[in-house]
Amino acid sequence: MTDLAADFDTWGIPSRTFLVFYLVATVVLVIGALVHRRSLLSGRTAPPADQLGPQQVAYLNGGEDLAVWSSLSSLRSQGAIGVQTTGALTAEGPLPAGVTPLDRAVHHAASQHHSARQLRQTEWVARALTELREGLDRHGLLVGSDRRAALRLGPLLLAALLALGVARIAAGLANGRPVWYLVFILCGLAAVTTVLFVWVPRRTRAADLAIRRLRQRNHHLAPASNPAHAVYGSAGLAMAVALYGTATIWALDPTFAEQAEIQRKAMTPGGATTSSCGGGSTAGASGGSDGGGGGGGCGGGGCGG
Amino acid sequence: MTGPHGVGIGWRPEIAGFVAELPGLRFVEVVAETVPIAGPPPAGLVELRERGVTVVPHGVRLSLGGAEPVEPARVAHLATVAELLAAPLVSEHIAFVRAGGLEAGHLLPLPRTREAVDVVCANVARTQAELPVPIALEPIAALFDWPDDELDEAAFLGEILERTGALLLLDIANVHANARNRGTDPLALLDRLPLDRVAYLHVAGGAEHGGFYHDTHTDPVNREVLELLGELCARHRPPAALLERDGHYPPAAELRTELDAVADACGFPVVT
Repeated sequence: MTDLAADFDTWGIPSRTFLVFYLVATVVLVIGALVHRRSLLSGRTAPPADQLGPQQVAYLNGGEDLAVWSSLSSLRSQGAIGVQTTGALTAEGPLPAGVTPLDRAVHHAASQHHSARQLRQTEWVARALTELREGLDRHGLLVGSDRRAALRLGPLLLAALLALGVARIAAGLANGRPVWYLVFILCGLAAVTTVLFVWVPRRTRAADLAIRRLRQRNHHLAPASNPAHAVYGSAGLAMAVALYGTATIWALDPTFAEQAEIQRKAMTPGGATTSSCGGGSTAGASGGSDGGGGGGGCGGGGCGG
Repeated sequence: MTGPHGVGIGWRPEIAGFVAELPGLRFVEVVAETVPIAGPPPAGLVELRERGVTVVPHGVRLSLGGAEPVEPARVAHLATVAELLAAPLVSEHIAFVRAGGLEAGHLLPLPRTREAVDVVCANVARTQAELPVPIALEPIAALFDWPDDELDEAAFLGEILERTGALLLLDIANVHANARNRGTDPLALLDRLPLDRVAYLHVAGGAEHGGFYHDTHTDPVNREVLELLGELCARHRPPAALLERDGHYPPAAELRTELDAVADACGFPVVT
């Protein structure tokens, strides 16, 4: 009886033995893939948050668009960029001192009268954005193509294990053996493999942490604080846009924002963005209420305290 | 809990990032009504407190000069804010901001009568009874005097301070404004005020419009105010002086220059 059963063991391996080995292999590989992934996404080599420039922060927080908006708002606040009623940008005067390659590219594109929306597609800006992205990748902040490929190694091994399991099920079914335990394990493995393969974050945990730190340190730049941008200067404005989105430009320079057709984008702490009028109207409302509070009490024309 | 010392600046959310980066700052003031008592105080203020910076709540809506008694809820708010910020004292104005249910939205001057002294003293006493810390009273700038004034400014203030035991918050820009707009001598007033009762000074900017000096808090501090500040400190230097700016904020470098000018006029260490 026992011998007969052994003859029917698929591939000559008893079901129970295969199941145990397969389960162990699954657990080991999944844990290995998770550890590998965790280490790849840690961004251990990343510089401290306070060494990041506004455009780097903008790129990490909102991608290429936000990096361009951050540069544009900084140049605009220094009087280096103008806009025509047609929406075409103009370069006003020489570049301010201490600008970044992206600033230089945006200023050049503006001198060629591109619109704000076209900036990203221009040769100069596209090249500057590539440099910015590669720098962030090198610093372990952004998940670039190399890191992305390395991240797929784990799911690929899991997929191989998955294929083995499928083959075993097929063979088992052909032998008329029960396969339900294996099917159950495979379902779980397939789910984990798919999630790990598909879900690749844009940035590393070091970048998440840096953005959280910078938000804490710069909460005075949030639109709700109604920041006095004259005090904080162009660097403060560039960081405000980087951390909190273009609602800041709309609140500060609505004529420019409208003529340049700058997309309204409010960055929320979770990293999600809300586009549309939401950002702009929020900034306007908070500005109004703050102004009312201050003016009512102290700023009075004749009777200030 | 140390009282205000040296040069301070009015903390406003709009300039919180600037204030946070002043290395030598020991003292700020916050408009008490803007501090919520449900939930934590604004993060910027909490960080300053953790650095050991003294935060003085400055009320603007109590209406100590109002004919009706101060509203208990407003006094309770001021007291709670003082506790939340572990403040060594609070300050308010000798003025009224509402009457007959109407909110003026401004600090309005009182007639300097004995009746007004009684009204203010009664309201200050009601407030002091609920406050965990002393109160400093600030006379305001006014473009006009009431026709039925019985006392001059020094006698009016002296009487209130004497009867309430309160400290004085002297706004040097207001002293300048009142003297300039009435053609009187500001030094004569300084000589008659109890300068030893001054908890701290206010210094603010203003502008000339239509032959009057307006205490705007949105313009740079003018030279005459700084000179008057120097004169006052030469007579009896109070423990602290605070720059008030409420709008039309200039670039950081200009604000730092103003703070340095205040420090220089008083002989305080620079905070920038």
